[in-house]
Amino acid sequence: MARTEPGSDAALLRSVAAGDATSLARLYQRHAAPLFGYLYRLAGDRMIAEEILQDTMVAVWRSAAAFEGRSKVSTWLFGIARRQAHNRLRGRAFPVTIADLPDRPDQAAGPEELAIAASGGTPVAAAIDRLPDHHRDVVALVFVAGLPLADVAEVLSIPVGTVKSRLHHARAALAAALVAEGVCE
Amino acid sequence: MRSMTCRMSELLPAYAAGSLADADRDRVRAHLADCARCPADLAAWQAIAAAVSPAHQRAPEPAQLVRAVLTRSALDAGPTDFEPGPRPFRQPWYLAALVLAEARLIRLAVPVASALVMALGVAVVLIPGATGGAGSAVYPGTVAGDLLALIAPIVAAAGVAGAYRSRRDPAAELVAATPTSGRLLLLVRLTLVLGYDLVLAVAASAVLAATAAGTAAGLNALIGAWLGPMALLSSLSLLVAVRFGPDIALGTAVGVWALRILAGGVFAGDGWPARLVVQAWSTNVAVLAVSVAFAIAAVIAAGRSGPFAGEPNNGWRATHPM
Repeated sequence: MARTEPGSDAALLRSVAAGDATSLARLYQRHAAPLFGYLYRLAGDRMIAEEILQDTMVAVWRSAAAFEGRSKVSTWLFGIARRQAHNRLRGRAFPVTIADLPDRPDQAAGPEELAIAASGGTPVAAAIDRLPDHHRDVVALVFVAGLPLADVAEVLSIPVGTVKSRLHHARAALAAALVAEGVCE
Repeated sequence: MRSMTCRMSELLPAYAAGSLADADRDRVRAHLADCARCPADLAAWQAIAAAVSPAHQRAPEPAQLVRAVLTRSALDAGPTDFEPGPRPFRQPWYLAALVLAEARLIRLAVPVASALVMALGVAVVLIPGATGGAGSAVYPGTVAGDLLALIAPIVAAAGVAGAYRSRRDPAAELVAATPTSGRLLLLVRLTLVLGYDLVLAVAASAVLAATAAGTAAGLNALIGAWLGPMALLSSLSLLVAVRFGPDIALGTAVGVWALRILAGGVFAGDGWPARLVVQAWSTNVAVLAVSVAFAIAAVIAAGRSGPFAGEPNNGWRATHPM
């Protein structure tokens, strides 16, 4: 990318690399909602999400000069955010992930209700929180970050076909979970 | 029925997420009107999209976030940027700085007193008649060697006894709180003190060898007179200092050295104990080897004495358990 349009993400990032904090604020403002939403979905906690957001922007501030323009700025940004989230959440105990939901026997309602309440009140959200990490990541990047599937593939370094299959997998698992809970049908 | 899935259904997740390009979005919208299955499919994706969107969570304000980012970046710029990889030039500079810092911590009285005692010894040999008339004129070489052998070891041992953190050291508390290991500091300080005493003793030997007093003995013989005893007494003093503190070390050194002098003078005899004592306090391979062993043991002990590594086992500490 030899030239960048003035006012574009890439131009802003170039100013950030030159040490312009105002450009960092503008760049953040453009992506704030999907970026924070994505991190909030991964972290499941506002405070932790804000910390990871800070980590992400510190990394952007420091390594803006390393951006080579081979990908979109948004893809690069979410790649950094995902890595920072990974770093900070690595040692943390995630909610139990159940890979084979259809085979899961019916459970008593107590913990389920708690999980539903914790994840924003809907059974679908609770079921999403129980998805395996790599499925939840795809769901978050597609529906929360709002990235096109090709960009999601780039952030995760996987083929687009794999993004699609993970999406359908996640959906099937959700449907099965909801059936098991008796929410549908 | 999955088998009936049409090609458009590929686009439905992105459509529900709102991330489709305009042209594709219009195509999907048109398709949804006449497809029997896709609207239901879309509803499922939309349910997921609605469930995961953190609608009630507002992102932090840009100004506030950028301020936090700049503060953090300024505060911890160093460690995260430079942590990975070895620091190629750190070691030599670090050691040089350490030696300089330790040199400043040694009290001026120690090197001055050592130099004075040594100078006094040289003067005693050189001034005719000062040794009681018995030696200087008749056997100048022996007297010079005996005197150096008498003075140099105890000067070095006294210096070494004080080299291990004493409570009189004004910087002891600060030193104990630094991340530098006690062993390394001890080694640096020993190098300084022993190096200085060695230079003093060699200089005194050279002065005596160059004057009439030493012509009979020669420089090598003069150095040989004190080198072994100096090594043995200093290493013993160090070992005791590390284990029991500087005061006991100094006392031990003086006591042991007094025994040696008595064995060589007052109780001089031809019996094997006297011969053994004299052998033990001369310059030979065995004595030097034992000295090195003592020194190594002392440095090892300095690293592991007590729960507050590097501090004397007994009494006063720079760090206190709460």
